[in-house]
Amino acid sequence: MSDAQAKVKVHVEKVNKSYGDNHVLRDISLDIAENEVVVMIGPSGSGKSTFLRMLNQLEMPDDGTIVVDGFNISDKSTDINKVRENIGMVFQSFNLFNNYSVLENIMLAPIETGKMDKAAAETKARQLLDTVGLSEKADVSVNSLSGGQKQRIAIARALAMEPDIMLFDEPTSALDPEMVGDVLEVMKNLAESGMTMIIVTHEMGFAKQVADRVVFFESGKIQESGAPKQVFDAPKNERLQEFLSKVMHA
Amino acid sequence: MKKILIFCIAFFAVLVTLVNIPNVSAAKPHYVITTDATYPPFDFQDKNNQYTGIDQEILKTIAKRQGFTYTLKPMSFNSATQSVSSGQADGVIAGMSITDERKEVFDFGTPYYRSGIGWAVKKGSDVKSLKDLKGKTVALKTGTSGADYALSVQKKYGFKVTYFNDSDTLYNDVINGNTQATFGDLPVIQYAVKNGTQLKVMNAKSPIEAGWYGFGVKKGDNAKLLTAFNKGFADIKADGTYDKIVAKYLGSSAATFTGNKKDNSSVLGILKSNDQAFLKGLWQTVLLTVLAIVLASIWGVFLGIMGISQVAGIRALSTTIIYIFRGLPLMVLAFFIYIGLPSVIGMKIPAFIAGLVTLILNEGAYTGAFVRGGFEAVEHGQMEAARSLGLPYGKSMRKVIMPQGLKIMIPSFVNQFIITLKDTSILSAIGILELTQTGTLIVSRNSQGFRVWAIVAAIYLIVITLLTWLSNWVEKRTRA
Repeated sequence: MSDAQAKVKVHVEKVNKSYGDNHVLRDISLDIAENEVVVMIGPSGSGKSTFLRMLNQLEMPDDGTIVVDGFNISDKSTDINKVRENIGMVFQSFNLFNNYSVLENIMLAPIETGKMDKAAAETKARQLLDTVGLSEKADVSVNSLSGGQKQRIAIARALAMEPDIMLFDEPTSALDPEMVGDVLEVMKNLAESGMTMIIVTHEMGFAKQVADRVVFFESGKIQESGAPKQVFDAPKNERLQEFLSKVMHA
Repeated sequence: MKKILIFCIAFFAVLVTLVNIPNVSAAKPHYVITTDATYPPFDFQDKNNQYTGIDQEILKTIAKRQGFTYTLKPMSFNSATQSVSSGQADGVIAGMSITDERKEVFDFGTPYYRSGIGWAVKKGSDVKSLKDLKGKTVALKTGTSGADYALSVQKKYGFKVTYFNDSDTLYNDVINGNTQATFGDLPVIQYAVKNGTQLKVMNAKSPIEAGWYGFGVKKGDNAKLLTAFNKGFADIKADGTYDKIVAKYLGSSAATFTGNKKDNSSVLGILKSNDQAFLKGLWQTVLLTVLAIVLASIWGVFLGIMGISQVAGIRALSTTIIYIFRGLPLMVLAFFIYIGLPSVIGMKIPAFIAGLVTLILNEGAYTGAFVRGGFEAVEHGQMEAARSLGLPYGKSMRKVIMPQGLKIMIPSFVNQFIITLKDTSILSAIGILELTQTGTLIVSRNSQGFRVWAIVAAIYLIVITLLTWLSNWVEKRTRA
């Protein structure tokens, strides 16, 4: 847990979401502090991805309040584009823009949102490519990259907007096993640099190592949350115990 | 966006210049007169592609003496009469029989030619009397009194009917044996037989429902034109000009007017003697195609963007427009705009504009459907990624979704361009003198169906080949 004085970056209160009869999120409340790294685990369909996607309004809650960076994004009248500029998002399926080169992918948003001029955006992009270890790929088409490379570019693309929160939606689930390490390495470095991160993942080892807090979702509810040591070594919730016994032996 | 706008304006400017009706001296009244494109000896083209025949010479003489000018619009008989009844044209002279039914819609001038209905079969046919037509098929020309008569006795003699829009195709159908007889105006059939059409007239001496031809204007309108016609007609009747005109056409074979037979015995000869007509027809076809491709593409992309709008009402509007204009047959749409609309909006619509609008609406609907499909085919995640970075919807569309979607659509665009070119031929129905209509007119004059249609087909194939090459070149460049 982060210390009590830390600034609250994300405030979620009594959020509900249904798709037809399927009640995917039930009365979720959660606060996330600045610089905190929160990892969300749970079985498929437990609502953790839906929850993550609400934090930048890719999904709208049916009721409840979500405040990110001081903006109430559960209110439709909030200018979501401005808020999103400060929230980076990394997807399971990368979603790199197929019609641009690697460098252009990273430069597009800073230029188009008016955040940087072209020269500044390029300097930033090359610097980020260096950070993720892919400097030599600047001018290639994104379709020629491997999955692991694509995901590292996607992270660089999100960082180009200089966000202060990063959301990761199962960033390694679509990768071949030998590619996972490179991506997790980049994320680890990011966490160490002090970025506020909210990560949905099935990588338990990574969660243990990097998370400040682990949140267990099941049936649309937060069943247990706490420090990794507590959640993984001394789970209280029965469903969490069951879940851990399955994933640890898999 | 700006470039497209400039493009649009430029095209409209070109359009307006090209279809601008030539200025007419204000002193003389000017009329638009429609006629049947193929109705010898009354209306047909001579070897210089000028309209001639008994009707045309009467009209020309009267106009000169009465001091009015006119623009002649040759088309199918049916369209010719409908253009006048809908107010698109001022008068029609097309070997039109004066009937009670037509008097409801038209005011007729002094009857100018005595006619009647005749029926004919292929030379050597075993059909000897109307009774022999039982179970056979009869070829009729749409909207003619011959057709009306045939229908009135159809039950009695038990034959089937099929319809044609021009006389020449109709005669050939009977000669080829697809149909066994035809009903039509006696002098017209007799003239065709005299000029070598292999038909036999069965009632040469006893025309059925003998009646008169009349010059028609829309009922209640254009009394001035009608008065001028009647005055002029009385004049040419009195001084013998009328008799001279009739004798001139009935007394000589068609070749006198339509040119040397030698010209028609080879493809080269036909091309040579009709090169101006073919070029003009081709130009109209190309002009229609190019304008329609550009404007329909713009309209279609617009419909496609509406089709994926975030607002449900806009999506529904796009779907409805596409549904309507994709569902309407092109020809119905053309008739609706050209013949139907003017009487409602009280404004004439030139055939070229009507045809172009028809193409834009029809081809644009097809384009809209595949543009929407192309945008929808772009992975959903692309939009989410763009939006997540803070790009607004419009920018995400322009920078990420549209470039990818348009790439997917290129083959559909090429396909639609070729369809557009071919669809221009349907507009011959409203009298646009494009390539197909040009072919119809030339065949009606020289009866060389095989050679002329082979030429027309070859021209279409050449243009389509050029269009395909151009499209492939553009496609390669966008891929690079």
